[in-house]
Amino acid sequence: MISLLLAIAVGSLFASGTYLILRRGQIKLILGLALLSHGVNLLLFGSGRLVEGRPPIFLNKADYAETITSSLPADPLPQALILTAIVISFGITAFVIVLVHRRHTVTQTDYVHGEFVPLLREGDPFDFSESTDTDQYDWLAYEVDEVYDTDDLRTSIPPPPPSEQDESTAMEEDQYRWP
Amino acid sequence: MPELYLRLLNRILTPVLLLLALFLLIRGHNLPGGGFIAGLMAASAFQLQILSRGHVIVRRTIGPYLNSSIGLGLALAVLAGITGLLDGSFFQGVWFSLSLPLLGYLKLGTPIIFDLGVFLVVVSFATSYLLGLSRVSATGERLRDDSASPVLSDDSSLDSPDLRVETGRGANS
Amino acid sequence: MALSANLLAVPVAAPLLTAALILLFARWGGRTLIRHQIALTTLALCINLAVAALLFQATAGQGERFVLQLGAWEAPFGITVYGDGLSATLLLLTALVALAVYPFAVATIDYHRARMGFHPLYLFLLTGVNGAFLAGDLFNLYVFFEVLLMASFVLLTVGAQPAQTNSGIRYVVLNLLASTVFLVAAGIAYGTLGTLNMAQIAERLPLASPAVRTVFAGLLLVGFGSKAAIFPLFFWLPASYHTPPPAVTALFGGLLTKVGVYTLFRSFTLFFPELLLTWQPALLTIAGATMLVGALGALAQPGLRRVLSFHIISHVGFMLMGLGVALSGNSLAIGFGLGAAIIYLCHHMIIKTALIMAGGAVELYMGSDRLASIGGLVTRQPLLAFLFFMAAISLAGVPPFSGFVSKLSLLQITLDTRHWFVSGVSIFASLLTMINMMRLWRESFWGDYNRPSRVPSRILQSGARQQLMLTPVAVLVLLSLILGIWGEPALRLSMQVAHQALDRQAYIEAVSPAGYISTPSTKRPIGLSDPVAPNSPAKLPGSTSTTLLVSR
Repeated sequence: MISLLLAIAVGSLFASGTYLILRRGQIKLILGLALLSHGVNLLLFGSGRLVEGRPPIFLNKADYAETITSSLPADPLPQALILTAIVISFGITAFVIVLVHRRHTVTQTDYVHGEFVPLLREGDPFDFSESTDTDQYDWLAYEVDEVYDTDDLRTSIPPPPPSEQDESTAMEEDQYRWP
Repeated sequence: MPELYLRLLNRILTPVLLLLALFLLIRGHNLPGGGFIAGLMAASAFQLQILSRGHVIVRRTIGPYLNSSIGLGLALAVLAGITGLLDGSFFQGVWFSLSLPLLGYLKLGTPIIFDLGVFLVVVSFATSYLLGLSRVSATGERLRDDSASPVLSDDSSLDSPDLRVETGRGANS
Repeated sequence: MALSANLLAVPVAAPLLTAALILLFARWGGRTLIRHQIALTTLALCINLAVAALLFQATAGQGERFVLQLGAWEAPFGITVYGDGLSATLLLLTALVALAVYPFAVATIDYHRARMGFHPLYLFLLTGVNGAFLAGDLFNLYVFFEVLLMASFVLLTVGAQPAQTNSGIRYVVLNLLASTVFLVAAGIAYGTLGTLNMAQIAERLPLASPAVRTVFAGLLLVGFGSKAAIFPLFFWLPASYHTPPPAVTALFGGLLTKVGVYTLFRSFTLFFPELLLTWQPALLTIAGATMLVGALGALAQPGLRRVLSFHIISHVGFMLMGLGVALSGNSLAIGFGLGAAIIYLCHHMIIKTALIMAGGAVELYMGSDRLASIGGLVTRQPLLAFLFFMAAISLAGVPPFSGFVSKLSLLQITLDTRHWFVSGVSIFASLLTMINMMRLWRESFWGDYNRPSRVPSRILQSGARQQLMLTPVAVLVLLSLILGIWGEPALRLSMQVAHQALDRQAYIEAVSPAGYISTPSTKRPIGLSDPVAPNSPAKLPGSTSTTLLVSR
């Protein structure tokens, strides 16, 4: 019975997570990923032995021998697996939230579009003869800093302002503004 | 945005939370607890600080040490594994016991060093994440106030999907 | 010289510890400390290369297997780290690629990215990749997958250009879905087989019901195949590889999909070698479709790095074709397909990294990688043009280089086992590769000199930086040449590695010499689903049925 309930719960979590990921909004994407990871955690939980009221660890061997003959003890491993999976999904959710926020600030949109949508909108997707937007590949919009090469080049660059130096976390806004 | 009641609560709760985190960290080898849970507990203490005193002050106080203590925690954890080589195998627990005059008998080992490393990593990672998110919410409030940047909604009542596609710098990749 | 199994910990621990030290001291200095970070990272990469070379010499050369039980817990109870010839080959190539890309990265990564932690992230990525090659149980494989994914997420998006964040979302979501599928597979393995240790799974899987085996294999194929960018699951790769700096693309192109290919090799040869026979048509169809779609997609791409990233997909198809013919009815050909796939993997990792670095250098000189708007670089940069040409014809499979040997051996085994259609497709894909490479060379090096960027390139003025960028490319092209000229010994070595990987019984015995694993346990855990279906044979004679077709 409990297995059936678990299966239903895992299935519905997966279904709703998949549905949310297929939507276009970024927030729904985050929620969908969270639901998927919860579904997997529940599945891992169900993959152990679902027994009630039996300890996984016995301090004296006689107790253990008695339990193992009558019925199976509880399985301690899925807890460890789930804890690890929770830690990982916690970290990844944190990263995705920050990434989504960053994307929102730089592109001013909540909409996750497909990759070839801009190409398709221009008509012939294989007509690359005239590039309308020069900054399409714009990671080179800034110029590479000269920091490693020579000393005279290094001294020509002003040191970073002191306000930048005592920043700690990796989420500072002004560091992303390229010269 | 310092809150009065939260500040009062903070004075009592923060030491309690930190002590509880320490307790969980130390008992974690054989009993429920351990580095990760203790780290989250300590990070919740810092989050209480952020809520009550504002993220700027917290950032100024502990912000500069966060990256370093992530590094310190990782290094401690790996070093605890390397110490196991003394006993023959990587990550083997090396135990030694001290007999203290009043408290009795204390057993120490590399797992507690590993747990300490995990604790440091978790507390610094979680705190820097929380600091970043509080900055995000502050920025969001500023954005909402001046509303200079219209945010495209995900509303499906718009007629054609083409209209909702952003053109411009972000839309091509 | 007997090596200690503790050496297996070094490829994971050394980059991790170095990255931790860099993080620890990162705060205490600004610009000058980046030089110290570079020195530390180089040291870690060199240690990694030395240890990988030692392991490779011992495993692939002398046929040893190394097993490290963490904390001295015996195999099915503790965490197992396992290294054999296949792992050591990939460790060695990973170390080579990482060490080769690093000077290029030092020369081209800007100060802001370096301050945001590029160097420790490089080491974290290496930690994850090495750990995935060495993991001996499914859950640690998952953990190391996540480590390398996390590092690659940040490497891909650090800098936060709009194109980077757009591609970052796709990359993150699709890779997370693949990890989820893999974790589901691990959960099902634990629920039905009661273990996560790979040796024990290999031991118990023949006793499980065919439904369990099929579901497990399918989930692994989807999860690992999505990492490896096989045919219907490759969309994350061309959507994201052209946005980060070229050094990051070179590193990703050299390492990331190969982890997926390695896990496919490992899981199919260890867990279900019989499926390599029954699923052979499906595997070969996927391989052919991957090759064809990669090559055709590359033909349609407007940018240099997009073409190269589609070619990664096409080449993964070749490796999958080698896996598909790894076992066949012809008893002489056992292991030959896998050996050819391994040597193709070596060739691909070396030359694809070199080619992406050369393409990245073109892009940095030109300020754009749009093929229609660049051109004529051969007069300004003759050395770069020469290296790019060499790498391109090696990728296309022209004789003195390694591409010829690996493609020839793959074709030989495919034709020997009478898979005419897929070999025809592979020849066609090779032809398309040649056309693409010539197109790249013609568009970017011939013609009138045309430099679309308005910003003057400071790289053109710095001789030291040019040396840092071009020396690793030259070294890798030279390696490819050596691999091509001494193709026969290299092929023999990779055959040994393939035979070692196909020997399942030796794997199980190496992991658990005390025999905790190989005694078939009658006690089954109670899980979500019934572990042994009622119609399956209750007791197979354990060890004889599990060694399938392997003759040494």
